[in-house]
Amino acid sequence: MKDIYRNLAVICVMAALLAGLSLWSWLREPDAYSSGERRLLAQFPEWSVQSLADGRFMEDFEEYAADQFPLREQFRALKAFSSMKVFRQLDNDGLYEYGGHLSRMDTTLNEPMLEHAAERFQYLYDAYLSGGEMNLYFSIIPDKNNYLAEESGRLSLDYEQLVETMREKTGYMTYIDVSGLLEADDYYRTDTHWKQEKILDVAEALAGVMGAEAGGEYTVNELDIPFYGVYSGQAAWETEPDIIRYLTSAALDECIVTSYSTGAAQESVLYNREKAGGKDPYEFFLSGSEPLLTIENPLAETDRELILFRDSFGSSLAPLLVEGYAKITLVDIRYVQSSMLGSFIRFEDQDVLFLYSDTLLNNSLALR
Amino acid sequence: MLFSGIPFLYYFLPCVLALYFSAPKKWKNAVLLVSSLVFYGWGEPGYIWLMLGSILCGYLSGLLIERFRGRAAAKGVLTGAAAVSLGLLGCFKYADFFIQNFNTVTGLSVPMLKVALPIGISFYTFQILSYVIDVYRGDVRAQRNFIHFAAYVALFPQLIAGPIVRYSDVASQLESRTHTLSGAAAGIRIFVLGLGKKVLIANVLGELCTAYAEAEERSVVFSWMYASAYALQIYFDFSGYSDMAIGLGRLFGFTFPENFRYPFLSGSITEFWRRWHISLGTWFRDYVYIPLGGSRVSPGRRLWNLLIVWMLTGLWHGAAWCFILWGLYFAVLLMLEKRFLLKHLERAKIFRHVYVLLAVLVSFVIFSEADTGLAAETLKGLFGFGGLPLISDTQCYYLRSFGLVLLTAAFGATPLPKRLAEKMQQTRTGAVLFSIAEPVVLGLLLLTSTAYLVDGSFNPFLYFRF
Repeated sequence: MKDIYRNLAVICVMAALLAGLSLWSWLREPDAYSSGERRLLAQFPEWSVQSLADGRFMEDFEEYAADQFPLREQFRALKAFSSMKVFRQLDNDGLYEYGGHLSRMDTTLNEPMLEHAAERFQYLYDAYLSGGEMNLYFSIIPDKNNYLAEESGRLSLDYEQLVETMREKTGYMTYIDVSGLLEADDYYRTDTHWKQEKILDVAEALAGVMGAEAGGEYTVNELDIPFYGVYSGQAAWETEPDIIRYLTSAALDECIVTSYSTGAAQESVLYNREKAGGKDPYEFFLSGSEPLLTIENPLAETDRELILFRDSFGSSLAPLLVEGYAKITLVDIRYVQSSMLGSFIRFEDQDVLFLYSDTLLNNSLALR
Repeated sequence: MLFSGIPFLYYFLPCVLALYFSAPKKWKNAVLLVSSLVFYGWGEPGYIWLMLGSILCGYLSGLLIERFRGRAAAKGVLTGAAAVSLGLLGCFKYADFFIQNFNTVTGLSVPMLKVALPIGISFYTFQILSYVIDVYRGDVRAQRNFIHFAAYVALFPQLIAGPIVRYSDVASQLESRTHTLSGAAAGIRIFVLGLGKKVLIANVLGELCTAYAEAEERSVVFSWMYASAYALQIYFDFSGYSDMAIGLGRLFGFTFPENFRYPFLSGSITEFWRRWHISLGTWFRDYVYIPLGGSRVSPGRRLWNLLIVWMLTGLWHGAAWCFILWGLYFAVLLMLEKRFLLKHLERAKIFRHVYVLLAVLVSFVIFSEADTGLAAETLKGLFGFGGLPLISDTQCYYLRSFGLVLLTAAFGATPLPKRLAEKMQQTRTGAVLFSIAEPVVLGLLLLTSTAYLVDGSFNPFLYFRF
């Protein structure tokens, strides 16, 4: 082939790609939200003389241009393909697939974050928990990666070290080890969370140490909405959805759930179908992010109460503890200031369980 | 603005290309100048006036030197221009380094200036200096058209990370240049390959280097992986940028000098520096080493000249002791080679390459660490001192995960890919296949690089800090 045709071919192909993608970038309507990444996308930045002079406009524009690039998800998929299939890298942005599971490597033990979490717990202890006759318990939920990493040759957080560090800092609580009761298949394949139907033994172990009853006759139900977990969107490659299963029982059917997310008491539900169809289907359990929530069990044969300081893992576990308690109060201090709790909760002689995932403790800045 | 960024590739570049090729010939340099100012102002809005001031100073100095040619005043103007350029460079790049060391030695506490380093100041200062010196020497005529001169200094393809283009290399092209189909196609090829080198290789190797820097436990194998990854990263980063600059230059009708020529294949450090950052090496040779007397002086003076040149070369890369040490390290190796090593290396076909690779890896360990103590730690790790284990599970993971990237980078740092492409075109069928495959491969390279940019975030070039 003559050089002229070869050169023309190179120029035409590259010009078409450059011009096509450029025009598409400029003319397309910006997206507001990335469902895959579960985040708001950057919008065209407002400009002013000040923002141009100090470079803020340029920084924001860089973010906007990358966020709003056409075929963004497909380009992310191409990048993942190149990393993992062409260059044979073992993870893509820290995410990998093994044994049908998607998992994220979190490898660095973040001492300042652990210190922050411990400091928040200490505050709660000093402010509310040290005076009464409360029994204090603490348990740390291992990330799914802890079970997959060794087998798959990936890296993981030093879970034992994390637990040891946190136990040293929270000597006023009885630690309950649940790591031996879990395995990778107890977690959703595409999500970070555990499956409710697989953690009955965890609930029993926790209740057992706290001297409460657990268990019961449960019926396993299946939600008819496909569950694409948080890793599914981050992975940028095609994944099969999970199925959310949930447990019901005579006691659970009678439970009264009250939310205090607006400050006033509002009736809520254990399993929220509306939320299951939303951005994060795991919010099906206890409606997701709730600062303060109570579950009352009218059929309870005890008047014991439990205060559960928790993250999202607690949403699917708490219903499994109602057999042993007349009332469970769930507190998520990511969404409510610890200093405000005295206005909503009477701290007297309840059992208190701090139940947190190692991932949250290692990234605890959100704890307030 | 970065070449390897969505705003440059899909906003700035298409607009500039459209404006440039639709502008009449006499306006083309003006289009390039305005585009270059926008390009510079995008990343460094506060310092655009500093660059324009430096350009004006260089422009007027050139005219004055020519006017006073043969008189003492010409030397005065040259001295003044050099003092202004080097003074600005010293003030913005080196002042705090000198103050800090002065304070350490004297125990005083002279306050630091804490001024941000203007992007590309080392590159455009050296371009202006070379122009003024060349005009003084009578090697080139002073440029009378301010737009042409400003376009030469501020030309965005080479403005912020080189190569350092001499005025004499592009003087005639500034006045008149041709735009051909083959030039444009060649420019595109070089640019896209450079983009791929930066985004697909250098940035990925950068992740391995970050993993090493953040690792709680290290090992001998990990130290070697890091040293290799860093050397390859900086090569692909810098040569990738140079390729993009050269490619863009070709698109606009300029021919910029080659900046890298497979440096890791060198058989001596002397040869390495003829292949690595060629435009900087030749700049120091022509404007510092030779004026100091070069090789035509006594052996003692020659060694002194080498020390000066390489200390300055190190210092040019950054205001830190590790860069000075890095420069002096090369000075020592070059002296040893000149004294006796070169003749032995010529006979040792394999050993000389092992020697160069080892010496270069060690040099980049010194180069990479802001703190000389950290560099010493890594060097100890490389050679098994400091009680490090041979390898650990964590490092096995990195070896497996980055192994193919490292191998690809090592292969790409040799002329083998180019030779394979040339060999393929030697047969008629191969040539046809190559012609069909080439645009497809280049297109895929652009799309894959775009995919990495869309997926990633801010990824500055390493050479920005110089």
